[in-house]
Amino acid sequence: MTQIPSWAAVAVSGLLVLVAVAIASWQRLGISREIVVAAVRALVQLVAIGAVLAWLFAHAGVAGALAWVLAMTLVAANESRRRGAGIPHAYRAALIGIVVATASTLGVLVLGGVISTEPQVLIPIGGMVVSGSMQASSLTLTSLRRSAIDNRPAVEAALSLGLPAPQAFAREMRTAVRTALVPTVDSTRVVGLISLPGTMTGLIIAGVDPLQAIRYQIIVMYMLLAAWAVSALVTARAAQGSMFDEAQRLVPIAV
Amino acid sequence: MDRPELFTLDDVSLVIDGRRVLDHIDEHLHDGGVTAIAGPSGSGKSTLLRLLNRLAEPTSGRVLFRGTDVRDLDVLELRRRAVLVPQRPTALTEDVADEVRVAAPGLTDAEVVELLRRVALDPGEFLGRTPSSLSGGELQRLCLARALAVGPEVLLLDEPTSALDPRSADAVDTVIRSLVASGLAVILVSHDVLRAGRVADDVRVLHEGRVTARGAAAALDLEHELMSPPTDGHVHDTDDPRGHGSAHLPHEHATDRPETTEQP
Repeated sequence: MTQIPSWAAVAVSGLLVLVAVAIASWQRLGISREIVVAAVRALVQLVAIGAVLAWLFAHAGVAGALAWVLAMTLVAANESRRRGAGIPHAYRAALIGIVVATASTLGVLVLGGVISTEPQVLIPIGGMVVSGSMQASSLTLTSLRRSAIDNRPAVEAALSLGLPAPQAFAREMRTAVRTALVPTVDSTRVVGLISLPGTMTGLIIAGVDPLQAIRYQIIVMYMLLAAWAVSALVTARAAQGSMFDEAQRLVPIAV
Repeated sequence: MDRPELFTLDDVSLVIDGRRVLDHIDEHLHDGGVTAIAGPSGSGKSTLLRLLNRLAEPTSGRVLFRGTDVRDLDVLELRRRAVLVPQRPTALTEDVADEVRVAAPGLTDAEVVELLRRVALDPGEFLGRTPSSLSGGELQRLCLARALAVGPEVLLLDEPTSALDPRSADAVDTVIRSLVASGLAVILVSHDVLRAGRVADDVRVLHEGRVTARGAAAALDLEHELMSPPTDGHVHDTDDPRGHGSAHLPHEHATDRPETTEQP
């Protein structure tokens, strides 16, 4: 293990905040105060989460870790729902998508013996899965909302031919899921070339051999591909269910 | 009246955001021929059309299709028996033949060719093309073929010619007339009362959510209806919408009959 920075070292790094503040005030950007507030907030939040995680790792056990992951999905779904504003029950759609994606992905990894069930593994890995699922769910809802507004004439033309909602909305659904998957497919394709992703960066800094560190990274990437895909598909299906009424009509979506 | 009733609007009102879009409509629309619902934009005519295939729901009152409340019919079946063609022709596929098959995937090649002929699109010229390469009038006729493929009893056409130049519009009107000659019923909506009068057998003039005139197209002084405000409290009504007798009496409506759309 390499040396972990002391609190004194952290205090020294605080000088770098002063550099940013100095630039802001020298250039009269008017955001000096915001920089200080952001830096202090980050410090407080990270200390708090560090303390919480230390406690969880020591006392939570598997059940506590899963409860923590579940709580993250609730927060994530609430964040995601904003992207689907106007879609009825957007929160429910996002929550179903994120929960199913998280449960299935983590389930495969745990049952396959790929990761352990210790809180210090489940919680950070779960966090990555929830975060990825949330982004997929948000992009899906954004696209569905846009389609429901822009493509309403085409969808209604299809409905008017007696096509059931899933068929009349099939193109919009495919577009939504594809749109949600593009970013993660892109970042997976260029991983290691453009950026060294977080998991392996952390392990390498902590002194792990790079050839071992990348194994974890590969697992994380594959896990995220699945999480994004499952979340996008399930969110889209759940949202579609509430975007059409019992008479196979596209409900009004607030612009 | 020997023509059976196709649609019945029974005291239908529709309120959207506090605005009364349709106001106590009582109408009987008959099978066969072209029925035109004409009126200025905002008169509620497109909304009325959407009630017929349940794309919209009345706030009060009932819509009957061949005597059955549309809410008691399977909505997909209703929409296949009464196919609505929206105002803006919109392609749903990337290929002309796929477009015709979009709601009738089982059609043979020969049936696709036949449908294209029925809407006056030469199969030799149009098969293999993408719908986006078609002109507005051609795309509108392709949308008609796509609708006919479903095998409807009646076509509901929302402004079928409003976006077209006069020649393309005439071509679409000709197709509509030929479809009607083969036994199909057509209900169309138009802001152009005069054009509607030329293509239709039977006309309803709609003003601010109320029917202000009805009857045989030839019997209504449509130019006058276009100008007349809806507030005179009278419906100009000719007796026989088919117009055999009244067609020769163009000013019959001048004798106003008592209001029939008002609620008792």
